[in-house]
Amino acid sequence: MTTKRRTTALIGDDNTVVVAGKRLTWRTLHKLPQLPSPAAVLVDNGADALAAVRHHAVHGTELLVATASRVDDRLREELGESGFAIVLPDGEVTPAKLKRVEESGRAWLLTSGSTGRPKRIGHTLESLTTVTGDQPARTWLLPYSPGTYAWWQIVTLSLTQADQGVVVIEPHELETWPAIAAEHGVTAASGTPTFWRQAIYRDSDALAAVPLEQITLGGEPVDQAILDQLREVFPKARISWIYASSEVGASIVVHDGKAGFPKAWLDREPQPDRPALSVDGDELVIRSPHHGAGLVGAVHTGDRVEFDGDRVLITGRLDTDEINVGGSKVSAGVVRNVLMGHPGVAWARVFARKAPLVGRMVAAEVVPNPALGPITDADLVQWCSSRLPDYGVPRRIRFLDEIPQKETLKSDV
Amino acid sequence: MGLVERDKVRELMGEVMKAQGRTLPSDDAADLREIGFRSLDFSELALRVEDELGDELNFDAPGLRRITTVGDVLDFIEQLQTA
Repeated sequence: MTTKRRTTALIGDDNTVVVAGKRLTWRTLHKLPQLPSPAAVLVDNGADALAAVRHHAVHGTELLVATASRVDDRLREELGESGFAIVLPDGEVTPAKLKRVEESGRAWLLTSGSTGRPKRIGHTLESLTTVTGDQPARTWLLPYSPGTYAWWQIVTLSLTQADQGVVVIEPHELETWPAIAAEHGVTAASGTPTFWRQAIYRDSDALAAVPLEQITLGGEPVDQAILDQLREVFPKARISWIYASSEVGASIVVHDGKAGFPKAWLDREPQPDRPALSVDGDELVIRSPHHGAGLVGAVHTGDRVEFDGDRVLITGRLDTDEINVGGSKVSAGVVRNVLMGHPGVAWARVFARKAPLVGRMVAAEVVPNPALGPITDADLVQWCSSRLPDYGVPRRIRFLDEIPQKETLKSDV
Repeated sequence: MGLVERDKVRELMGEVMKAQGRTLPSDDAADLREIGFRSLDFSELALRVEDELGDELNFDAPGLRRITTVGDVLDFIEQLQTA
């Protein structure tokens, strides 16, 4: 049987691609040696990941791309048994254990795997391209880890649309990205709230020097405080937040500068191009046209929502967000938003801690904002006491010197 | 396992009260309800003691009993550490 390979029109092939300080285009990017298909290409830098994607787009191969550090030995073994040749960062290829026909044009993503083992979700360049139509000419920052959904969003935008350049930020450049972005005229950047908070916290003057017109947040619950802080640094930029996942694609896009989305978006008349949003109990349910393969129908997202006036706030994961303090339930995300609303707090993580009498108590780790003088745990407890029920007030607050960050650019919240 | 001395536990109890905007009276006979020391405060105190010890307190061993005064709390924490 022969399979006709599906390739994609590379409208963005002459878009600028900046890697390691060098200005190239998709077309002039280095070429990888002929890749097997299906292949799991494990990379240790963003440039190789982009080269793998272009190869995939030109040749219609079946590809999974991820950073080598996300794919442990067991997962490599599993991929081999599922028919993937494993391509290591040094180019070494381990042939697939299972011989099978490739799925032409299939791009595989690994879910973040923050709970349990990473799952494979099937997409194509088309299903990953959620931004289409005429776009203003932009140069995008690409700070995400290769292979994640957020990374693919920027990559497909640049590869399939005209005038959408990218500036790749490698992990070791994450602390100094604003200088690189300013040098290369980055006008649009997408990052997690943690990513933005760190940038503001580290050096807000350096951040303000980046000529940003479009700021996008996603990948974590987006609180009002970070939106307001970004608005202060960039009064003229469009600030958007996106709810997206490997499973349901980009399903909620909000541009009004407010946390959450309008309640009126729930249970609307179905339309073919628009994801249908609903709430089951306190869980967000999405039926999306941008879903991954085999995920047709309503997907229970596992994300917890809360109503606040005419807005629907996404407060965090259901399985980790709810803290039961002696029978009273409180959302870690809500507590976190309250902490983040304190002017002296640059970052906070809220979690449950095992405690006598009440089973669990709310505890927090906080990074203070050094520009605003010292704060004590008593200050924060008082701040929270006037805004939360008493069982929701964090009782043990530990101060950290800097914001912890994982490879996905999400903090562990 | 080390021991957090009674005076230190009292100091930690004072910190719990202070964070709630109250003060701990010096009298061990002070009634917990009157001074507003509630179960959440007690739980917090236990966490502070655990942090000081670097170990978890074993609440299963002694069995909860009636704790009505500041002195009862200090006794109980002491008992937990030697259980």
